[in-house]
Amino acid sequence: MTIEAGTKAHAYPTKEFFVKMLTRDLALSDCILDLIDNSVDGAWRSMGGGPTELKQDDGLSRFSIAISVGPNGFSIEDNCGGMNLDDAVNYAFSFGKPEEYKRDPYSIGAYGIGMKRAIFKLGAHIRIRSTYRASGGEREAFAVPIDVNEWLSTSEPPWDFDIVPDSELAEDGVRIQIDALTPEAEGQFGSEAFRQNLRRILARDYSLYLDRGLRIVLNDSPIVGWQIALREGADFAPMRFAYDDSANENAVNVEIIGGMAASPPAPDAAEPEDQAERARGAELFGWYVVCNGRIVLAADRTEATGWGTDDWPMWHPQYAGFIGVILFSAENAVALPLTTTKRSIDSSSEVFRRAKPRMRELTRKWIDYTNQRKQALEDAKQKEQEAHWIPIHSVSLRQSVQLPELIARESEPVANVQYSVPLQRMRSLARKFGSVNLPYREVGLRSFNYAYREKVGEE
Amino acid sequence: MPSFDAVNYSLRPSKSIQRQLVFEGVRRLQVAMNLAKLVYVGMGSIWFTDFVMAHKLLGVEDMVSIEGNEIGFRRATYNSPFVTVKVREGFSSAVLPTLYVDEFYANRPWMVWLDYDYELNESVKLDMRSVIENCPENSIFLVTFDGKDSRYGEAPERPELLRRVLGSVVPDDLKKEACQEGEMRETLADLVLEFMGSVAAEMSRRGGFVPAFRAIYQDGPPMVTVGGVLPALDNELIAKSTVGADDWPCWPLEPIRAPHLTIREAGALQSQLPCQRKLSRVDVQALGFDLEEQQVEAFQNYYRQYPAFAQIIA
Repeated sequence: MTIEAGTKAHAYPTKEFFVKMLTRDLALSDCILDLIDNSVDGAWRSMGGGPTELKQDDGLSRFSIAISVGPNGFSIEDNCGGMNLDDAVNYAFSFGKPEEYKRDPYSIGAYGIGMKRAIFKLGAHIRIRSTYRASGGEREAFAVPIDVNEWLSTSEPPWDFDIVPDSELAEDGVRIQIDALTPEAEGQFGSEAFRQNLRRILARDYSLYLDRGLRIVLNDSPIVGWQIALREGADFAPMRFAYDDSANENAVNVEIIGGMAASPPAPDAAEPEDQAERARGAELFGWYVVCNGRIVLAADRTEATGWGTDDWPMWHPQYAGFIGVILFSAENAVALPLTTTKRSIDSSSEVFRRAKPRMRELTRKWIDYTNQRKQALEDAKQKEQEAHWIPIHSVSLRQSVQLPELIARESEPVANVQYSVPLQRMRSLARKFGSVNLPYREVGLRSFNYAYREKVGEE
Repeated sequence: MPSFDAVNYSLRPSKSIQRQLVFEGVRRLQVAMNLAKLVYVGMGSIWFTDFVMAHKLLGVEDMVSIEGNEIGFRRATYNSPFVTVKVREGFSSAVLPTLYVDEFYANRPWMVWLDYDYELNESVKLDMRSVIENCPENSIFLVTFDGKDSRYGEAPERPELLRRVLGSVVPDDLKKEACQEGEMRETLADLVLEFMGSVAAEMSRRGGFVPAFRAIYQDGPPMVTVGGVLPALDNELIAKSTVGADDWPCWPLEPIRAPHLTIREAGALQSQLPCQRKLSRVDVQALGFDLEEQQVEAFQNYYRQYPAFAQIIA
C-alpha cells in the first residue's frame, strides 16, 4: 500500500459530541451547579475579584440567584452584573476558552464548557438573556435563543448562535430559561426527592458564599448554608496552616484547617447514642476540598482525598467526628485542582499532591486520638464535651492540630490486634495466667508477650 | 539491647569504608549544588562518627542527633563532640516532625542519615516517607538497615511482607528466590530506592528524587544503605549529572566486605598500592602473610578509605 504525501487523518468535532456525549459526564444537579457557578463568578467580578476569604460578612449580600426547578421547565436568574456583548460574541458560547481569553480573577469557571454542557443536558429550548452596564455606563440587553434540535441539524461550520436584541431585565444580570426539558431532566425535576437533595447540595457546596451574604433561592425558598465548625478548648485546638504553591507558574494559595467537629463514636457500637452519632457522621465528617470558595468535595472519605491509599487507612466509622478543610485559591482558575464537572478533584494535580502529606498528617493524628481514646473513654468524653464550637473562619493559625494526651503516648507506631477465639479456651488461658477473671485484653497482651519472649527473645 | 552496647562502631572496617564513600559523594554534591549551611540529621549513638565526619569533611556546623533510648540520650548528650550538635530524645517518628517546623533548620538543605541497626519495617518506611515529603529542598537523604534475609520471616513469606511494608512498588511477580540469601539485600536496596522515588513522585515533589546511594556492606549481617538527593528544581540536572559521573563513589556494584587487618598487614599491602594490576593472593603470600582473593580485592578497591584507627584501638 502506498500513502500519498499529504494524506491526513480528519479530526473534526461534531455538535452531537458536545450535546450528547460530553453531557454524560455530569449529573443533572451538576448542571445546575455549573450555572450557579457562572452567576457566582459574575458576582465576584462585580466585586472586583480578589482571593476568596473565609469569613462571615455581608460582602456578597447585594447578589442573589433564583432558581426554579420543575417538570415543566427550568430557570435561573441572577443580579450578578450580567454578561457583556463582547464576551457573548467571542467567548461565552465557544467550546473551550481560547488562549488569549482573560479569565476573571479568582473565578471557578476554568474550562469554558460548563454552561453549554449544562444547558444541553437540561433541555432543547433555551433562552439566555443578559442585561449589563456597558463601558459608557448605559444599560444594554441581548438574548441568545437556542433551539438545540435545529442547531444539531448540521455540523458544518460556523457553529454560531444568533444574538438578538432583548428587553432589559429588572436588574443587571443573566436569566436562563430552559423549556422542552430532556426526558431525564423532566423526570428528575418532577421528583421532590431530587429537589430536596439539590437543596442540601446547594446548602453545602455554596456555604462559604452564603456565609458572605450571597442569597440563593430554590423554588422561592432561600437556601440556608451549612455551618462548618470545629471544637476548641479542653486540650483540643484545630490546626490552621497556609502556604503558597504554584502550578505552571500560576500562584496558588493553600490553606488547611481541621480537627474535631464532634465526639467520635463510642467503641461499643450498640449504644443508641453512638448510632445517632454515626448517622450524623455519614453526612458531615471527612475532608472538604474548596476551590476559589466553591466546595467541590464534601465530607469525603474516599481515595480522592487519600483514604485507603498507601500509608493512609481506609475510612472507618471510628474516625467519625473529624473534619478537615483544604482551600485552594488561585487568580487563574486553571491552576486549581478541579475536574471539569467541579464535583471532584483532579487527583493528578501537582498542588493537590503536594498538599496530601499535610492532609495525611492531620488525619493520622485524629486516627491516633480515636485509638487512644478507647483506653481512656470517660476522660476523653469529658474533655470533648468541654470543648466549644468555633466556625472555621474563626480558627486561629496553628501549624498542627492539638488533641488531648489521654495516656502516655507511644512514640513508636503501634499495631492494634483484634481476633476472636472460643470463650472456653480464652477462660482456660486466663486461668493459666493467674485468674479466670483476667480481662480478655490482658490475656491477649500476656499471650503476645509470652510468644514474643519465646520466638524473638528479650529486648 | 541498644546497638551502642553491642558494637564499637569504630571497629567495623566495611561500615567505615561505606561511610567514607558516602561523605565523599556528599562532598561532591555539596560543591556542585552549592549547598550552603547544610544541616546534618542523624542517629549519632554515643560515638558520633558520622557527625565528626560531617563537621570535618563537609564543614557542617548545625547537627541533630536523634536518640530514642533514655540512657542512650544521657550518654549521647555527654559524648556530643561539638557544641553545635543537639541531641533530641525520642523516636525518629516523633523527633523528625519537630525539625520540619523548626525555623532554625527549615529553609536550609539537610543531610539526613537514618542509620537503623535493625531491619526495614513499617516505622522505617514511615520515617522515609516523612523525610521525603517534608525535608527542605536540596536535601540529601540516606537510610541504612539490616539486609539479612532471615530478618524478614520465612522465605515464602518474604515477598508478601515486603508488599505489606513497601506497598505498590513491590512487583506482583516478585519471586521468593529474589528474597533469599544474597539476593535479598539487593532486592531490598532496589525496592527501597523505588519506594523513595515513588513517594517523591506521588507528592509531586519539585525536583523529584535522584537516586544516588546504593551500598551494601558487611561486617556482621549485611547492611543496606540507600538514598538520594531531593534537589530544588533548578538543581535537578546538576544533581543528576553529579551522581551520574563515571567515578561516582556511592554505588559500588559489589558488597563491601573489608578484611580485618593488623597495622602491619595493612601497611604491607598499602605499600604495593596504587597499582594498575589487580593484586592477588600470591602477591600477599609474597609479602609474608595470606588473605583470601576476595579480601585482597576489597582492600585494593577501598584502601584509601580503609580505617587506620581500628587497629590502634584493637
